[in-house]
Amino acid sequence: MSKDSANTSTRRSFLKSGALLAVPVAAASVPGVVLADDGLKARVKRLQDEAAIRELHQSWLRQVNAGERAARLDGAVRRITDDHAGAPDKIEIAADGRSAVGLFDCAVEVETPLARDCTLAQMAHAQGNGTFRRAERRTLTVDYTKANGTWKIAKASLTTL
Amino acid sequence: MLGTPYPKKQMHRIAYTRLTGEQITAKLDPVAGRGPKSVSPLATDFAGKSMNIVTDGGPALSYRFASNTRLSVAEDGGTAIEAGFGALDMDHICLFSHMIPGTQRGYAVIVDRDSRLATVIELWFSGYEDTREVQRQVYYGYVDAGGQAPTTRHGFTDRLEGRGYHWRQDTGMQTLEYYPSAGYSHFVELSRTGGEIGFSAPSDYVKLDDGFFVYTRTECEFSGTFTAYVIDVNRTRQMGVRLGFDEGDELHYYLFRGDGDIVGQIARFEKFADYSGDPIPAAPGTDGKPIKGGRRVYRPFRTMEKLTKEEVAKVVREHSNAFPARVTTGGAAGMAGNALPANDFLAGKTFILRYDNGPVMEYKVDSADELNWRKDGKGDWTKARYQAYETAPGLFLFGHLLEGAPNHDGHIIAADFHQGLVTCYNGFLNTPYFANEAGARTLFGVLEMDGIQPPMYRRHTRTTEMLGRCITYSYAPGLTSMHLYSTPNTVSWIIFTPDGHGGMEWSGPGDFVKIRDGIYFMYWLEEACNGTLGTVLLNLNIMHDAGIGYNCGSRGLNMSQIGAVVRHAGKFEVDKYFQIKT
Repeated sequence: MSKDSANTSTRRSFLKSGALLAVPVAAASVPGVVLADDGLKARVKRLQDEAAIRELHQSWLRQVNAGERAARLDGAVRRITDDHAGAPDKIEIAADGRSAVGLFDCAVEVETPLARDCTLAQMAHAQGNGTFRRAERRTLTVDYTKANGTWKIAKASLTTL
Repeated sequence: MLGTPYPKKQMHRIAYTRLTGEQITAKLDPVAGRGPKSVSPLATDFAGKSMNIVTDGGPALSYRFASNTRLSVAEDGGTAIEAGFGALDMDHICLFSHMIPGTQRGYAVIVDRDSRLATVIELWFSGYEDTREVQRQVYYGYVDAGGQAPTTRHGFTDRLEGRGYHWRQDTGMQTLEYYPSAGYSHFVELSRTGGEIGFSAPSDYVKLDDGFFVYTRTECEFSGTFTAYVIDVNRTRQMGVRLGFDEGDELHYYLFRGDGDIVGQIARFEKFADYSGDPIPAAPGTDGKPIKGGRRVYRPFRTMEKLTKEEVAKVVREHSNAFPARVTTGGAAGMAGNALPANDFLAGKTFILRYDNGPVMEYKVDSADELNWRKDGKGDWTKARYQAYETAPGLFLFGHLLEGAPNHDGHIIAADFHQGLVTCYNGFLNTPYFANEAGARTLFGVLEMDGIQPPMYRRHTRTTEMLGRCITYSYAPGLTSMHLYSTPNTVSWIIFTPDGHGGMEWSGPGDFVKIRDGIYFMYWLEEACNGTLGTVLLNLNIMHDAGIGYNCGSRGLNMSQIGAVVRHAGKFEVDKYFQIKT
């Protein structure tokens, strides 16, 4: 396995290995001689980290989409969903295992307030429609850090495709 | 009375009395005792009957009808109270109404005798700071006659959206009523006020079944009068109730019948499977629950800025601004997001606009955004910032402020360099009601320039070709409205919800000039609203307009570009209800 491939996980590879991690009994039954292999230990560690990051990511997305203030990406983003036509998700874990970067192609709903600079916009606000939503395809880049065995989001940003 | 009964003041200019609760009660009490009047015969099959109505989330009403004009009602199992009432029926639908004596409340009840479904409209005064404004809450339910309760209900709908009627009531009242929204409507009183301009009001639309619907409107910002009627859409008949105080504070409470004509059906813009109504429901209360009688009402008179002549002079002196750089940070970016590009055709040209019975305006144009003007050949030339937009080949819309004019005038001009004709909407301030509210006069004239020989007699002319038309204007993402040209002198505008329902609506006086085939120069005045003079040079050949707005508020006097991509939503055939056709 090359170094690059060791540090890169696609959605497809994650799902394959995720299935392995989802079966702890089977994992526990792996012969000790295999677990003793350093390479395999590192791989399992990486897959565990990826799974934790994936879980953190999904949890965070749910918070964003629920409009929870603490999870807001910026004032305009109201919803993020997977862009299934986009590139596969990518989670790159640093060699020291203490930081990671996730790249996710997604569809973002951006809400922009209508400026109250004309009668029509004022009426739109008055009827409860004072914002305009549009969907855009973007790449979500998330920086993760690991402290005390727990992954956290350090920074998230969106770039236009 | 000879002639058309034009009112001395249109509705938006009447200073309606702020009635006290005592005044309202004093006028309601005798009416509650006797019930509503009716020109048409009342229904005669109520005497001796009883009716229990159950509503979802609303009152349970137990009625006993002692006669065809007297009932007793117990609300939610309470003490029965006697009241006068009146009822009308139409096919299997009946409508009756009564007040509750000793209160400022009452009901209009609509019952489907076949399905036993009921729509109950509770009505009351003193529910808003303007106590005369009738409040309403619509409940759906059924007549409990024992046995299993119906599982269906009447409900709000957009099925009437886009329809227009001419109604002739048994009272002699004739109206044009347009339903271009699922939450508002527009009405023109032809018989009472001459139909010069129309007005807009929040409305409910309820489907009883495919043949019968209920419409309501409350004349908010005006008299506060409430009207509700059932429409038999197949036979184009109506029966209804009207409750409220007129401009003379006389209480009107009567039932009516009417016959009508469908004047048209314009397009709707919801998705095809969407027949929902109540598109702009009221915001919930602080407890998250619906507020009884809550509704979204556009109240421009209350919210508009009102400046004195001195304040106007100050803001104009300090903050006059023509065609500022476009702000693109907002989702709306004003009304210029889809505007046509500014054009430099006028740069370097010298010409005269000679208006009939108006000024002679000389122009020397320096560049694409700076010109020099002089009026009537007098005084010095004055520099002004301007913009011009070519709406059709050789046809330009341009505008500029007239610095130094005592009423802070602005000229917005449709100049046809092919025909040598011009029309100017001359905006001005210091108008009688609020100094910052724009007025407008329409000037017709010719364009004199080397190489152009203007006509001697021909001019642009006012037109009724736009009368009854509905045009949607998409100014910017998220900012689309629809114009309804409801009378030869009215522009009404409707705001859409994100899912395409017509929502809030308002209106003002307007003017319509034909420039070329398919090209019209129009204005609207936001009187008792924001005071804006809005102008559009609409080209139906390219389905795009160019426009200029003229507005004065505390932030200054502004002339700014507007522009939209348009759609033709349809036309109401109402020419015959007005006395002129041009």
